[in-house]
Amino acid sequence: MDHLLSYIIFAPIAGVIAIGASLAVPMDKPQRDQFSRWVALICAGVAFVLGLYLWVVYDGSTAGKIQFIERATWIPSLHIEYFVGVDGISVSMVILSTLISFIATIASMPWWRGKDEHDDPEHPHFSVVKVPGYMIMLLILQTGMSGTFAALDMFLFFVFWEVMLLPMYFLIGIWGGPRKEYAAIKFFLYTLAGSVLLLLAILALYYRTGDQALLQRLATVNPEAFRRLVDAGTLAMDPQSHAWAYRMAEGGFASNTFNMLTMAKLGQAGLFDLVGPFLAGITFAKLMWIFMFIAFAVKVPMVPLHTWLPDAHVEAPTPISVILAGILLKMGIYGMLRMNWPILPAATASFAPAVSAFGVINIVYAAMVTLAQTDLKKLIAYSSVSHMGFSLLGMASMTESGMSGAVLNLFTHGIISPMLFLIVGVIYDRAHHREIEGFGGIAKVVPEYTALMGLAFFASLGLPGLAGFISEFLVLNGAFANLPWHTALSAVSVIITAAYYLWTIQRVFLGNLNPKYAHLPDVNWRERLTLYPLGALAILFGFYPNVMLRLINTDLFALVRSVKGV
Amino acid sequence: MPPAATILDNARSLPYFLPETLLTLGAMGIFLLDLATRRDPRRIPIIAFTSVAVLVLATIATYYASSLPYLANGQRFTPMQRPVALFYGLIVIDPWAVLFKYIFWAVTALAIWMAAPSLEITSERMGEYCALLLSIAVGMSLMASSTDMLMMVIGVELVSMVSYALAGFRKHNRKSSEAALKYVVYGGVASGMMLFGMSYLYGLLGSTNVAAMAPLLQRYTDRVFLMNLESSQAGAGQLALVLAVVLVLSGVGYKIASVPWHMWCPDVYEGAPTPFTAFLSVGPKAAGFALAVRILYGAMSQSGGQDLATVVAGIPWPAVIGVISAATMTLGNFAALNQTNLKRMLAYSSIAHAGYLLMGLAAASATGSESIAIYLMVYLFMNLGAFLVVGAVARLSGSESIFEYRGLSSRAPFAAVAFAIFLFSLTGLPPLAGFVGKFHLFKSLIDRGGAWQITLAIIGVLNSAVSLYYYARIVRTMFLDQPLTPAPIPVPRSYNVLLGVLVIGVIFFGLYFDGLRRIAEASLPMFGHS
Amino acid sequence: MEILSQVKDLVLLAAQHGAEGAGEALKHAEELGPQKFVTVGYLWLIPFFPLLGFATNAFAGHWIQRRFGKKYVSYIAVGAMVLSFAVAMVALIQMLGLPPSDRYMVNFLWNMITAGDIQANLSFSLDPLSMMMTLIITFIGGLIHWYSTGYMADDPGYWRFFCYLNLFVFSMLLLVMGDNFVLMFFGWEGVGLCSYLLIGFWYEDIEKAKAAVKAFVTNRVGDFGFVLGLFLLFWALGGSWVERANVIPPRETRWATADPNYKPQAQSGTFYEKDPSLSPSKAATTWENYRRDPASSASKGGIRVGPTFTFRELRDQLAVDATGVRSRLTGMTFFGIPLLALIGILLFVGATAKSAQIPLYVWLPDAMAGPTPVSALIHAATMVTAGVYMVARLNFLFALSTAAMTVIALTGAATAMFAATIGFVQNDIKKVLAYSTVSQLGFMFIGVGVGAYWAGVYHLLTHAFFKACLFLGSGSVILGCHHEQDMRKMGGLKRFMPLTAKTYLYACIAIAGFPIVSNGFFSKDEILWKAFDSGSNMLDPSIGKLIWVVGWLTACGTSFYMWRSYYMTFTGEYRGARGEAHLGGHAPLLPALVTGSLASLPSSSVDAHRASTDFPQVRGMRHPDSGADPHAAGAAGHADHPDHKAAEGHGHGGMPHESPTSMTYVLVTLAIGCAATIVLGFWAPLGHLLHIDWMQEPMLERWLSPTFAPSRELVESRGAASGTFWEWLLMFASIGVAFAGWLIARAFYKDAKSTVPEKLAAAFPGLYRVVYNKYYVDELYQATVLRGTSILAKALAVFDNVVIDGIVNAVAVAGRFVANIDGAIDKYLVDGAVNALAEGIVELGGRFRRLQTGRIQNYLYAAVLGALLVIGINFLVH
Repeated sequence: MDHLLSYIIFAPIAGVIAIGASLAVPMDKPQRDQFSRWVALICAGVAFVLGLYLWVVYDGSTAGKIQFIERATWIPSLHIEYFVGVDGISVSMVILSTLISFIATIASMPWWRGKDEHDDPEHPHFSVVKVPGYMIMLLILQTGMSGTFAALDMFLFFVFWEVMLLPMYFLIGIWGGPRKEYAAIKFFLYTLAGSVLLLLAILALYYRTGDQALLQRLATVNPEAFRRLVDAGTLAMDPQSHAWAYRMAEGGFASNTFNMLTMAKLGQAGLFDLVGPFLAGITFAKLMWIFMFIAFAVKVPMVPLHTWLPDAHVEAPTPISVILAGILLKMGIYGMLRMNWPILPAATASFAPAVSAFGVINIVYAAMVTLAQTDLKKLIAYSSVSHMGFSLLGMASMTESGMSGAVLNLFTHGIISPMLFLIVGVIYDRAHHREIEGFGGIAKVVPEYTALMGLAFFASLGLPGLAGFISEFLVLNGAFANLPWHTALSAVSVIITAAYYLWTIQRVFLGNLNPKYAHLPDVNWRERLTLYPLGALAILFGFYPNVMLRLINTDLFALVRSVKGV
Repeated sequence: MPPAATILDNARSLPYFLPETLLTLGAMGIFLLDLATRRDPRRIPIIAFTSVAVLVLATIATYYASSLPYLANGQRFTPMQRPVALFYGLIVIDPWAVLFKYIFWAVTALAIWMAAPSLEITSERMGEYCALLLSIAVGMSLMASSTDMLMMVIGVELVSMVSYALAGFRKHNRKSSEAALKYVVYGGVASGMMLFGMSYLYGLLGSTNVAAMAPLLQRYTDRVFLMNLESSQAGAGQLALVLAVVLVLSGVGYKIASVPWHMWCPDVYEGAPTPFTAFLSVGPKAAGFALAVRILYGAMSQSGGQDLATVVAGIPWPAVIGVISAATMTLGNFAALNQTNLKRMLAYSSIAHAGYLLMGLAAASATGSESIAIYLMVYLFMNLGAFLVVGAVARLSGSESIFEYRGLSSRAPFAAVAFAIFLFSLTGLPPLAGFVGKFHLFKSLIDRGGAWQITLAIIGVLNSAVSLYYYARIVRTMFLDQPLTPAPIPVPRSYNVLLGVLVIGVIFFGLYFDGLRRIAEASLPMFGHS
Repeated sequence: MEILSQVKDLVLLAAQHGAEGAGEALKHAEELGPQKFVTVGYLWLIPFFPLLGFATNAFAGHWIQRRFGKKYVSYIAVGAMVLSFAVAMVALIQMLGLPPSDRYMVNFLWNMITAGDIQANLSFSLDPLSMMMTLIITFIGGLIHWYSTGYMADDPGYWRFFCYLNLFVFSMLLLVMGDNFVLMFFGWEGVGLCSYLLIGFWYEDIEKAKAAVKAFVTNRVGDFGFVLGLFLLFWALGGSWVERANVIPPRETRWATADPNYKPQAQSGTFYEKDPSLSPSKAATTWENYRRDPASSASKGGIRVGPTFTFRELRDQLAVDATGVRSRLTGMTFFGIPLLALIGILLFVGATAKSAQIPLYVWLPDAMAGPTPVSALIHAATMVTAGVYMVARLNFLFALSTAAMTVIALTGAATAMFAATIGFVQNDIKKVLAYSTVSQLGFMFIGVGVGAYWAGVYHLLTHAFFKACLFLGSGSVILGCHHEQDMRKMGGLKRFMPLTAKTYLYACIAIAGFPIVSNGFFSKDEILWKAFDSGSNMLDPSIGKLIWVVGWLTACGTSFYMWRSYYMTFTGEYRGARGEAHLGGHAPLLPALVTGSLASLPSSSVDAHRASTDFPQVRGMRHPDSGADPHAAGAAGHADHPDHKAAEGHGHGGMPHESPTSMTYVLVTLAIGCAATIVLGFWAPLGHLLHIDWMQEPMLERWLSPTFAPSRELVESRGAASGTFWEWLLMFASIGVAFAGWLIARAFYKDAKSTVPEKLAAAFPGLYRVVYNKYYVDELYQATVLRGTSILAKALAVFDNVVIDGIVNAVAVAGRFVANIDGAIDKYLVDGAVNALAEGIVELGGRFRRLQTGRIQNYLYAAVLGALLVIGINFLVH
């Protein structure tokens, strides 16, 4: 299994090819639909199993050691490589993405239809419309996600990053709700506008890595660091050009490099801080930091760049919301963790206060907005904005517990928010609306559903013993060390969160039963299949978060230290 | 500084001029063929195939010509390294010219291929169409390879004149004749201005040879500078020079349809027959850029193409070009936002793309020209592809309105998917070829790394985000809207084949573009500098 | 059986070891070393059985109930309790076998969190204090489970109820047995969850649901403070990045760690080894060592200084002077405020919510919406005492800051008085008990506040018994009176339910604090005396005296309202729902007044208990039509009564009846428990009387002394040693008020003969109304906090939609606008020109003549304009 990562990344593509080929074969519609469904299911399942296998064989004992590296030159003339590998941080994310993708694929199956499902013919359920196309998009999306988490070459990272856009656009735009076009294009434009800046930053950094004069300055300004770079083999003298260069996969020399790890080393050596005032007086490092940060902040999403999220979530079909909330939002923080923090540590340090402030705004502001929502899905969308704020705060705190809380939050929120969206999907499939006020007292007719929703809500409001609490606790504790007031302010959200969730439960489930829903069917087996695993994980990580923390922390702390230069 | 190229006299030049000669003869031959096959029902295919054959021959000839010097020394065929100046240095064969010649032949061939099944080109006028296209090809290759201003003017005029005719090719079509007229008048003015500027330059510098011009220009600038120190009545001299350069630039700007010389573009594109529009959007643009790069490399290069003209007559031309580029792409994109006629929208989009390409020019560096070459190669695929689909849809319905595209995904699935791919490639999304092109343009700017270059790059990327809006709008119409009529749109097989080829090209070059880069790099040596 | 025999000899064991323990602890406290402890393997069983019961009933309970009947559900639940109590007893016996200084059992399961400085294990620990709590929880909890089998017999949600109860016991055990803050917080919020679930047990009644939400959210407010206090403590102990910034090597040498192969030392749990069993023999590392080199001092044995969540390690750091942590913390300030005071107060904020103290007590009275056994177990005996437990558990921390102690004690006193006054006029029997609980909790906080930790805990214990007994008694009454909670509809129940009456009576005696015969007397008296004697444990010695006065008066009040409830309920004529429309001779006056007040109230949604405090007449006045007919009104009042959910099966009407044995037996057991706990306090006087030297001091104090050893020296050094004369005097004073309260109540309410209360109420209608409506605190909160929040939320939502998203869309619109302008220019300027031109051509046929006519100039203009523009740009750029 020496190509394990590639298998994980490209397993879905095999499905795409299979479905695409099947389009040429004459079949009648239901046959074709079933075929593509099963292909998608199998591919996602294979990827998930491989992900678990990756977890098993990953050796978490060593810090800063990238594993399962696959490296091959892609575009020699630009020194672009197909370079994937995982450390503790990305391995957790890869596992998460395969898991959530698999669950999303299951959630795209109309297995219960005809039994207790009755929807109107002019608005058919998304899971029976243009199925092959849907599955193809879903699979491409999965490839993009795992690829982004595994990529270690910036160009490759960017390609995977962008590859996620198109499928998402179509998935929301074709299979979405009433305002799908608006939501889809909004998501698309927002993300693209961010990522083009990322592209610029990547290019700029790429050129600085090859700037001989700059390297010379580093050698003079900070011989220590330079020597270490050379000793570590990061930098080498190219015999032909007699210039400092970087080793390629095949051992050749590259004048510049897109290699994230190399860039991180250079950045921590202070290379990029040596570039003088750049644009409008801002230093190069800071400008690039801002470019990359905007790209990632859109994905997080960070207030005030968050308004695409409620629309996208509300319009997207359930499985897509699941993927959006479960994985795509995580890419923002992950990107910062891979680029902003390690590559431009000095800039990070100088921007940390701003980031922490934004984090607090995310947490409290979004929580307050959530309190006023009347649409169940919007409520959850805003609540995830609020929860992602914790990750921002933790990242900004730059303390060990803060950072590991931030990363753990990616994982726990990546488990809880999909559960929430699945749960909303359940009620929407039955009642065809999501108005909180439109229900009432349905706990009596759907007890199991109520229990699951209660579990998800309490996990999300950070009840100790469930996953959400640990990450928030770590973040707040870590942040308190150097941002006491920020932390105090953010901790208020603990109250608000409880308020809006319990209020929602009260309005939807408690009180007198709304006669309209006297015969609401309870969760069916497909939904159990998606909900129970997530619920179990929420409890597991509540009582034994170390399962993940052990995986994450070794590398994360190495990163924190090298970023802080301790 | 004099070019290091060997200068040949007319007689010895002729073999190197073989491709152009072939095309000219071919054009004449087509006319005869046209007469010969008047009664023949298979007239269109015959003519089309003959002209394509001519182009193939021309391609071979180009390769032959490009490797003649080595053959002379008894070496084997090898792609050109050292340029050869023909006709006492009026035109030159160097890798740059060769690359563009290949591009031109390809575009022409595709335009003919597209024209064959198109109903806009009636069978009795097919011969005419092909012959004219071939002669335009000659003109373009002159533009790309001429080192002397006179030759440049001839090339430009040749292309323009014939284009006027082709723009108004659809008789009894009001729009078409409008377009032709507009094109004529505008083109006339533009080339007039260019000629005017060139005469100025000649007057000031005493040479029309672009390659020889650089040192003269340098000297002149210095002199003006000194005069400035002594007396104030030298401002006139400077102004004259500036005016001259500007006028020349506007001639080029007109050919590549950059702001503020873009106004002819939408109407002409809309009016001209679709195959020719496709041709127009790629061919002459490419020629224009080849010309522009040559001028920048030659006339304005301080030290022979190594570090390129930054300041001439006290004016940082790259910055000026940068401003034009920003204006062009912004206007193009914004104007395209609300167009409902596809051809018009694509016209504006091609204006915007001219703006992107100008970024490569503004970078004023080897990587800049390289990125231009790459972008044009990619652009050939995606833009022709887009127009091909437009042609296919408009073929029967005759309408280019966006409403024709509602639910195209169900009426002509393959065309719709291909169109989506071309459009997203035009937007510049990986992993499609368009991204590679844009990537290199931004790259060249950031490589220069100055403040205004970065600003321009930012404007560029934001523009491509804007452009997404109208491209995605078409995609949305095709995939998300319900069709007006479920009736499927018949797409000619030849179109489908071509579409397939272009789609594969777009995706392949998006995933693996090392080849493109090597070709572009190889094309850089010019006037013997490399 | 054998349990009993064990209990017999364990008392003796406790006596002997207790003596030693006391001796040791009281000896030179400066020799206090790190807490010794033993590792045991079975403590996890205690919380495990309830958890198991919960899981079984949660997943299969419904099915079991349908398939086999309710009996089996209760078997599972009660069985779990019995088992866990048994294990607790085993633990107790083992603990008694240990020398007092070693009485600290730890059971490490797994390491939950390791992140930087944070290290939290899932490990349980038992020391004398938590041992006592565990026994209370399992014993009383078990009894109440048993009781519930009778009380909930007719409820369809039977299985649900027991599964919640088990979950609650599990969380509560987590709270007391967790050996670190994190685990304690797990329990802390877990019990909150269960209380939420159980208050809202009958969720069809939206008012009950609201009460549940109110309880949880209010507790969250407390947790907010608690967590901040926790972080502050952690930070102060060195978790702070700022602190350790000085440890970072200077910039030049920083590159040493730039490469990722560098292995951070802290990656295996910063300052800790995973194995909790650690020889406490080695020398303590001081704070200075730690500051110099955190990692290495961490790896050394002994007392590891630095941030910790574990109670034991915290205790060691603070108690052992050698570490220097205590002196350092005392010196530290946080933004000007003394750090320890701030920590103490913030932690106490958490306690005010959990233990219903001012200002966060408001949820507890509403919590009475839950079934009565829940009120007994959660809202009287166990959960609400968590705050007291927490303060006692952290005595070594709180004792360091007299400011924090003062705040706690004063809050306690204020709450005690405040709640008692409300208790005077409540007519809902559960409400009376609820406010009495709040008041008694106030007493406990006085105890732990003034540093009399064992007294506070003792009162916790006694209160657990008599208040449980009272609540369950009231539950029995409610059931007997067909779910009637209004005391004015009761009366004379002595005849119908003698057993309940007797136990209730005894519990009244206990809480009223009658001397000798009541456990409440000893605990309360001890608290009051210690308050009087607190000396400079308070910021000012006089505060102690003040608190005594307040407590003394409150004691009188307590005695009054408890006896009032007894007399109104059990004496006189039965005024129940059986056709007795006239509510006795004197009652009608109250409704009139109250109605006035209620009518004048804004009907507030937080006022969840309105449904249960309203009584028919009010409705009658609200809806004149039904008001005409008291019967109908009475029926209405009866019909929407909170507990009527369980009413099926108990036919309405009919005279009250004694409750099933499963309930009465429990009552009796609890009454016996009340009596038994007298020993703990009576021990010392007995010892004096009998001149048995090892009985000289209260048994419980001895038992708890290992836990409170770290703070003892501090507290006593500050306490003013007033003579025994005062002690006796004050004792008689409190005996006096106890009787006073009783006599007044007897005079007013016995057999509902006297009319004084109404006269009084009539004399001070305003005062009465204010008190009756609980000083309108709920309304105040509603008007300020809740209203404000919701307004802000709505405003922000609008802001988000209109402004932020508005900007985004505005950008798009602007883009389109620009686009239109561009389009327009091209369309009208150029096209217009050309069209006109083309027409011209069409009509004139000739092109060139037309050329002079100026149309064409547009192009020239445009082009030349462009050229000039570029020139302009040139010079600009230039």
